[in-house]
Amino acid sequence: MTAVPDSPARRDTGSRRVPAPAARIAAHESAEVTFTVNGTETTVEVSPRMHLGDVLRERLGLTGTHLGCEHGVCGMCTVLLDGEAARACLLFAVQCEGAEIVTVEGLGTPDDQHPLQQAFSAHHALQCGFCTPGMLMSSYDLLANAPEAAAENLPEAMSGVLCRCTGYRGILAAVSDVAESYPDGVPEPRGCAPRMLVGRTSPGAGTAAEEAGTAAPQLTEVRLPTGPPSAVVDVTSQLASPVDRVWGVLTDFDLLARCLPGAQLVESYDEDRHRGRATVALGPVKLSFEGLAQVVERDPDAHRLRFHGQGRDTGGSATAADVVLHASPTADGGTELSAHADVHLSGRVAQFGRALAGDVSRRLFEQFAAGVDEAAETGSVSEVPLGRRLRLAAGAARDAAIGAVRRTAHRLRDRARRGSTG
Amino acid sequence: MKAAPFAYVRPPTLDDVLAELAGGDGKVLAGGQSLVPVLAMRLGRPATLVDVTAVPELGEHGPDGRSGYRVGASVRQRVVEHDPAAQDVPLVSMAMPFVGHRELRSRGTVCGSLAHADPAAELPAVACCLDAQVEVAGPGGTRTVAAQEFVTGAMSTTAGPEDVVTAVTFPTAGPGDGFGFAEIARRHGDFALAGVVCRVHVTEAGAVDAAALTGFGISDRAVTRDVTALLAAGESEDDLRPATTELAAAIVDTGGDTHGSTGYRRRLFAVLAARELSRALHRAREGRTTR
Repeated sequence: MTAVPDSPARRDTGSRRVPAPAARIAAHESAEVTFTVNGTETTVEVSPRMHLGDVLRERLGLTGTHLGCEHGVCGMCTVLLDGEAARACLLFAVQCEGAEIVTVEGLGTPDDQHPLQQAFSAHHALQCGFCTPGMLMSSYDLLANAPEAAAENLPEAMSGVLCRCTGYRGILAAVSDVAESYPDGVPEPRGCAPRMLVGRTSPGAGTAAEEAGTAAPQLTEVRLPTGPPSAVVDVTSQLASPVDRVWGVLTDFDLLARCLPGAQLVESYDEDRHRGRATVALGPVKLSFEGLAQVVERDPDAHRLRFHGQGRDTGGSATAADVVLHASPTADGGTELSAHADVHLSGRVAQFGRALAGDVSRRLFEQFAAGVDEAAETGSVSEVPLGRRLRLAAGAARDAAIGAVRRTAHRLRDRARRGSTG
Repeated sequence: MKAAPFAYVRPPTLDDVLAELAGGDGKVLAGGQSLVPVLAMRLGRPATLVDVTAVPELGEHGPDGRSGYRVGASVRQRVVEHDPAAQDVPLVSMAMPFVGHRELRSRGTVCGSLAHADPAAELPAVACCLDAQVEVAGPGGTRTVAAQEFVTGAMSTTAGPEDVVTAVTFPTAGPGDGFGFAEIARRHGDFALAGVVCRVHVTEAGAVDAAALTGFGISDRAVTRDVTALLAAGESEDDLRPATTELAAAIVDTGGDTHGSTGYRRRLFAVLAARELSRALHRAREGRTTR
């Protein structure tokens, strides 16, 4: 890339990226494109006509970028491309090789919101929320790159994104507030820690593979995401069984898997790596995960077991967990089983929100603990009928499930009492 | 709103770009901010998009060493907007904030706007008013075309389907030059209902020796007129209004739409033209007196 000698024009592309050449991709073929999204480098296989907005949403599970008109008018899909606001619907993914993309998910996290997000909240700058990601990314670009325009005429500077809830006053107040609070420049995006990006590799690929009877390439190693977890679960259950028997269950992966309702061990590669399947039913929601669990720590003296699990379902959802199980003896000869899990969710399942994801995960662990207790006592786990598997979608169903768990706990406690007296 | 399938290629050299365009069923993609909506609405279905952004020399911009400011085909509008050297072409700086929105200028290119040749677009009007030179490469070699000859009608130019616009050079301003720009749009960033671009040059004595006025959004292309004689009517907006009203009747021939009739656009043009010519004249004379 040397300057053309006979051209007096200076070679000045600033800090701008000059994309590498790309070989021809036929209309109905696809090619791999690698770019960075919110700090994580990712490679997607796309056909030429797939725009960046669709890739972010459908392939990477980043549904924070909204699509409105899809022809460059409404601004809903505004993202940062190499630090500047651009419409994701007017960019084909094949144009983005080597690009740095930041979406609203990268601007801030629920626990560490960007000042713009805080200001939008404080000024009631959103009603239905549809334009909010676009407004946030556009205003970030404005305050980071052209703050003088914000000071001169904010309504015109923010005219690239439409709001149909008549929310402009709140939006302008929020942006103006942040502009005044940070005269030397708005802080950098806060949610760009490396994270797991999951989606489907190509539309229909999963179903095609299923129809052909050939599964997708199987995972053999668990790669744990490094970003903040979607939910953190801490559950402690009191079990009637003595600690040695509980530990015996924890180290028998086949038995352990059966303690989790809906889970099934498919294949064990070795003592520490196991392939399994798990189904979760939440009202009308049915998820079927295929995945791998890998024991990373096993301490018989402390009765501590740590494993990583990773699974994905055919609908584009994925889950990963870092789980620590710890059994300790109690004074009455029973066991306190504690579970700590960092749960990472992405894809469609992530849309449940953290509260529900946490609730569901917690309930699964409670059922799991009850199963461990039963296994420790009897050496096996009774098959939980499908109808009694986790059903927690809402009110009555959830209460019923909690009731069932409580009843199980009572039954076990009664049994334990009988055992100790008889 | 999904584009029909197309093949995509990003060649490394200009020769490769031309080879891909040979046959005429390809379309040049630089920023895509005008082209992609056309594809999304399936108003256009090119077989191949030829992305020119990997060709190094097309990304160059800056003074051309001959009192011009040259912008290569893949140079983004936003880069030019923030380039201090572009201040030497005041009309480009004046017009740029009105070209789409910030989010579009970050991807849209100056040459792409010229090649798209929307009749209501700002940059083709600026190019016509300044007599900018458009460089076009094609199977027969390269040629340079004056902007007014380059645009042949609504979204039509002399660049054929096998050609690619490689650069545009705007003349930089000198002593005695004064400029004016204004447009009326329903919303900032929209295409103008009517707009004017003008330049006036005065001698050291302050006499007008050259003046050009370009209207956009008022016909099937930007229309440029020599208005040196018109400025004899005076230098205030009121002095100039009768002449610009007469000019509006002659050149505003758009059929009008729900946002503005032909008559309304004539009136917009006449008012904006008188105001901006007056401003440009004052700026030109101020430039002389403050030197």
